[in-house]
Amino acid sequence: MANPVLSVSNLSIEYNSLRGKVQAVRDVTFDLYPGETLAVIGESGCGKTTLALGLVRLLPKAANIVRGSIMFHHNGQSTEVLDLTAKQLRAYRWGDCAMVFQSALNALNPVLKISSMVQDTARAHGERDTKKIEQHAKELFEAVRLDPERVYNSYPHELSGGMRQRVLIALGVLLHPQIVIMDEPTTALDVLTQRTVIEVLKRLRDSMGFSMLFISHDLSMAAELATRIMTMYAGEAVELGTVADTFYRPTHPYTLGLLRAAPALHGSPENLSSIPGSPPNLIHLPSGCKFHPRCPYATEICSTDDPPFEQHLPDHWSACHYWEQPGEARTAYREELATLLRESQL
Amino acid sequence: MTVPLMELQSVNRIFKGRNSTVQVLFDVSMQVAPRETLCIVGESGCGKTTTGKILAGLSKPSSGKVLFDGKDVSGFSGASYADFRRAVQIIHQDPYASLNPVHTVYRTLSFPLLRHGLVKNQMEARARVLELLTLVDLTPAADLIDKFPHQLSGGQRQRVSIARALTVNPKVIIADEAVSMVDVSIRISLLNTLTELQKRLGLTFIFITHDLAVARYFAWEGRIAVMYLGRVIEEGPAKLITDAPQHPYTQALVSALPEPDPEITRRKPRVQLRSEDIPSLTRLPSGCPFHPRCPIYVPGVCEHERPELAATQVGTLAACHVTAQTSHHAEAIAARGASVAT
Repeated sequence: MANPVLSVSNLSIEYNSLRGKVQAVRDVTFDLYPGETLAVIGESGCGKTTLALGLVRLLPKAANIVRGSIMFHHNGQSTEVLDLTAKQLRAYRWGDCAMVFQSALNALNPVLKISSMVQDTARAHGERDTKKIEQHAKELFEAVRLDPERVYNSYPHELSGGMRQRVLIALGVLLHPQIVIMDEPTTALDVLTQRTVIEVLKRLRDSMGFSMLFISHDLSMAAELATRIMTMYAGEAVELGTVADTFYRPTHPYTLGLLRAAPALHGSPENLSSIPGSPPNLIHLPSGCKFHPRCPYATEICSTDDPPFEQHLPDHWSACHYWEQPGEARTAYREELATLLRESQL
Repeated sequence: MTVPLMELQSVNRIFKGRNSTVQVLFDVSMQVAPRETLCIVGESGCGKTTTGKILAGLSKPSSGKVLFDGKDVSGFSGASYADFRRAVQIIHQDPYASLNPVHTVYRTLSFPLLRHGLVKNQMEARARVLELLTLVDLTPAADLIDKFPHQLSGGQRQRVSIARALTVNPKVIIADEAVSMVDVSIRISLLNTLTELQKRLGLTFIFITHDLAVARYFAWEGRIAVMYLGRVIEEGPAKLITDAPQHPYTQALVSALPEPDPEITRRKPRVQLRSEDIPSLTRLPSGCPFHPRCPIYVPGVCEHERPELAATQVGTLAACHVTAQTSHHAEAIAARGASVAT
């Protein structure tokens, strides 16, 4: 693989609270490669959004980056994002690394026209040619299947939810960033609107070549868009692998649990099950493997020894003492899938 | 079919505003047999929640009838009305908003018991509340009974909502997007609890959701009704609706839904709609409401006459001129889908 565009190592983020320190992100290490789409999946409260906010340093005041490094590589130069000055940070955000926020309803300023938001953004990053900005924005609106003339001169309330989400995506890539972070880009959208957003994202990614970090609790979205998947649990990355490896040969029981909990339009529903129990308290974490109280494979060792995050298979990392078992548990599914694909001739 | 437990007959619902009137339900008819599961599926604004409210007696139809156990609901008064309202209970979408934050679980659940005279005193109420909590898998019940909603997780709160609906021994439960706010990892166990309750207590479920995959799972033995712009456009057994949809709108929904499997979701044929915008309820298209977006629209037919629900060859009901006419329709769509898929 090429050199990464972003290298995150041992990133740990804590929130100060009255009851103690909330360890929202713990020792997360991963590389993001040019042009790839890395999906970050996990339950609510697993640290997905905190991680994303940390990468653009938009964390709330109560949060501290206690450890780690975020290296941004571009044009042969490497920059430590954690050491950027306020001025450098303003250029890095949006210019190099853009973030598209979760709620399209709240992310746009209701009293500004879309045109003002476009112009303000470009001007803040040193572009002075108003006509050029307008033309570029309209091209992007066209690319996300919006009517450029109408949308450019609209206020946010004049647009539907799906249109607003696409405006946000177009705004996100306005300055040709190397990295685009999407936080749940299709949650709260209807099925057909969601499909449009997915297709638009695929097209933009392929034509502009940016890397995408894609946060979602929806495995179907990850299956559709991702090249690699990172599973997070209790603030830790517990598995990282290609989309096919993750879905067909998971090496962490939590990933397996998520896969088994996702209802589908194919197959029989008997195979579905929930993960028992609930996520741990992030102030007082369990000993050993953080997943052991909910894990079907847990033994004595899991409650005492925290398994390291290791590469067990080629390009496939996970933190589990019994990493071989989830993959075996997926054998029946792989066979069922093969039959299904053969019969339906998809 | 035996006498349906609940039935809507040609229900229309019009909302009157200061300057405008909006009709949100058009001629909606549906039946639910005792102990059956009916899922109402559709996108936002299709009228599924309004339908649920009318079934629950929380909203009245502008015209048309609601029947409960064969009797017209509008004729109920006094004791018979109270019986009806007790028999039909609703579970709301958001467990963070539907539970009073300053009431403990015990207070929330004991109130209806005492109010309706189902228990004689606080002692009995406490015993019954513990029983209900165990019934909805909130265990250990004794530890949870005195908690406030903020001390519970989203899934636990939704279980309290379910227990609350069960306090008055209902026959029908209307669940409006009851699992869409809880985490994916616990959604299945919540649905399983509902299925288990249905079997044990002989409940009838009307389950409202925007998610066809959830509907397919929950209504595996039951039926799905698909709504679009205030009308039921396809209805039938859940397996048929998701495996062999006949109406082009249902086909579009099934094809658009991403699947939790990279091979399947990337190979799936996609139906291309002619327009991506949902028409406004204030300016509805003439004829078939889906015609401006429909991939198999027939000019000169679809925009003139509105199709009625009619039996399809697979055994569902669909409101589509093209489906009704051509028996080779399904093959045509498959071929079309394959050519569109990239």
